[in-house]
Formats: sequence, C-alpha cells, structure tokens
Amino acid sequence: MIPIQIVLISAVVFIAFYMYLRLRSSLLDAVLIFLFCGVAVFFILFPDMTTKIAQWMGVKRGINLVFYSITVFFFFLILKLYSRMRRLENKFTEMIRENSLNKAEELSDKKS
Amino acid sequence: MAADNHSIFIIVPGFNEALVIRQTIETLFEKKYSVVVVDDASTDNTRKVLLGLPVYYIRHLSNLGQGAAIRTGMQLALKKNAEYIVTFDADGQHDVKDIEKMIAILQQEKADIIFGSRFLEGAATNVHRSRKIVLKTARLINYLASGILLSDANNGLRAMTREAALKMQITENRSSHNAQVQNLVKKYNLKYAECPVNISYSDYSKKKGLRNINSIRILYDLILYKIFR
Repeated sequence: MIPIQIVLISAVVFIAFYMYLRLRSSLLDAVLIFLFCGVAVFFILFPDMTTKIAQWMGVKRGINLVFYSITVFFFFLILKLYSRMRRLENKFTEMIRENSLNKAEELSDKKS
Repeated sequence: MAADNHSIFIIVPGFNEALVIRQTIETLFEKKYSVVVVDDASTDNTRKVLLGLPVYYIRHLSNLGQGAAIRTGMQLALKKNAEYIVTFDADGQHDVKDIEKMIAILQQEKADIIFGSRFLEGAATNVHRSRKIVLKTARLINYLASGILLSDANNGLRAMTREAALKMQITENRSSHNAQVQNLVKKYNLKYAECPVNISYSDYSKKKGLRNINSIRILYDLILYKIFR
C-alpha cells in the first residue's frame, strides 16, 4: 500500500463511521453508507479498475470517469439541498407570518 | 363614495422606511382607506413614527422580503373583510389619486386585478433612461415566465378584488413575486387590466429603491422559482 491509499482509506472509513453515528435511524442508511464506503475503498486499493470500466464506457482514463460521475452527483446534490432549503424557507416564512398576524395591532390609540 | 372606503385595504410593505412612511401613509387617510403597514423587520423606528395613526401594524420578526410582506398584509386584510386590496410602496413614489381610478376599473369592467403602469399613455413619470431599459427587459422576461405581457412588469401599485386576493398565494418572498403574481393571474384565468399611474422618483426613493443591479438578483430568483415551484 502506498501512503495516499492509507490517507484516503482512513478518510473514507472515518466519514462512513461518522455518518453512521449521526444517521443510524434506519438500517437502509447504514447499508447504503457501507456500500458506498466499500466501493470507495475498493477503487482506492485497485485504481486500475476505474480505467477498465472507463474504457468499457468509452472514456480514456479512469480518473476522467470519476471526475464526470462526481460532477453529475454534486449537481444532483446541490439541487436536492436547494429544494430542501426552499422548503425550510417556506416553513420559516409561515412561522414568521403567523407570529406577526397574531401580534397585529392598531396604532390609533397608542401615543408616541 | 368615501364613506365605504374602509373596505378598501391598502397594503404598505416597508423595510427601513421610517423617514418617509408616515408622510406616504397620511395621504391615504384623506380617502378613508384602511391601511395595513407590514414592517418587514426594520431596524429603524418605523413603528414609533406611526404611533397614533389609524393603521393596522404588523411586524415580521425577521426580514423576509417584499413578496412575503405583501402576502402577510393581504391575509390580515382578508381577515378584516376587505372588499378590495391595493398594494402601495412605502417610499412615496405612488400617487394616492391612482387608487380611485384603479378601483373604478375593477368595478366597471368587472376585472379581478389591475396593474399600475408607468409606461401607459397618461402616466407621468420621471424614470431614468437606464432604469427604463431594465424595466423593459424585465417586462419581456416576466412575459416569458408567466405568459402575460404587461407594459410595466414591476410596478408596486396593484389593486385586486377579494376573490383575486384569496387566490394570490405568493410564495416568492422577494422581488420575483411580481412574476409570480402574473403567473397566478394566468393560472386562475383572472381578468386583468392595466391602468396608467404616476410615479415620482424622489432622490430618496432612488437611493432606497431597487438599483438596476438588483435586477440580476431578481432574475436569479425567478429562474429558481420556475425550476422549483
């Protein structure tokens, strides 16, 4: 094993463990996390495999394929996060609105 | 007719407009309109300068944007049995006389919503040339986004009936709510019309109002709205 592999594998294992601790709500989450983790560790140990898959898909180098997949994945992630943000903003707006309507006042009889 | 104007509710959304809001609102009392001020979490003394005036005052705990403030005000007005709802900017750029004209169109033509326009014949405005270009572009973009072509797409002065107001579920908190309103008009097939209105840009409203650069932000909001609604 070369040093970079040790660094990457420890990072992946740490992230997987951390995520498991935080989201151990469902079995499916755990399975997914460890599946991803397993795939990542596999490709870190056998980087040539990415090139094989890449060539099978018509891409020259494995690293390019990884780069393309990550781009698509991150784009998807941004969209997901953004729609969640909008939902949160809507809830927040509703709460502020309800609070303000409950406290609506008439200022005519209030003196400065 | 002035007697039953209390069922005409004027929504005045304001964010840090304490310097001019009292002056703006006082012009509305002559016609005995009901006034709802929505203070969008101003950090100045907006509430204090309004004390003693016959207005409903609502304050957001956190700044949400003009679209959100308008919707909050509309909800209060509907609760208070408003027959007509008018949105009116706090910075004094609108002319109170236009409200009467707009309500008259609503009644005579049985329209659901009237949009104020500073570009129709009969409107007096001192809008700057660069601002004009931006507004003309915004008009086309809003047309593409909503399917309704108005001569002035981002005018804060609008009048609508109670029935139309019930359908105006604005979820766009910021300035892209203008396009959303047009969208809802199209969606519910509301009968709309435009009315020439006077806009006077004072140095104050020029400084406080939307700068041309903000239109990029509005465009961005609008694109996101089209994707995620």
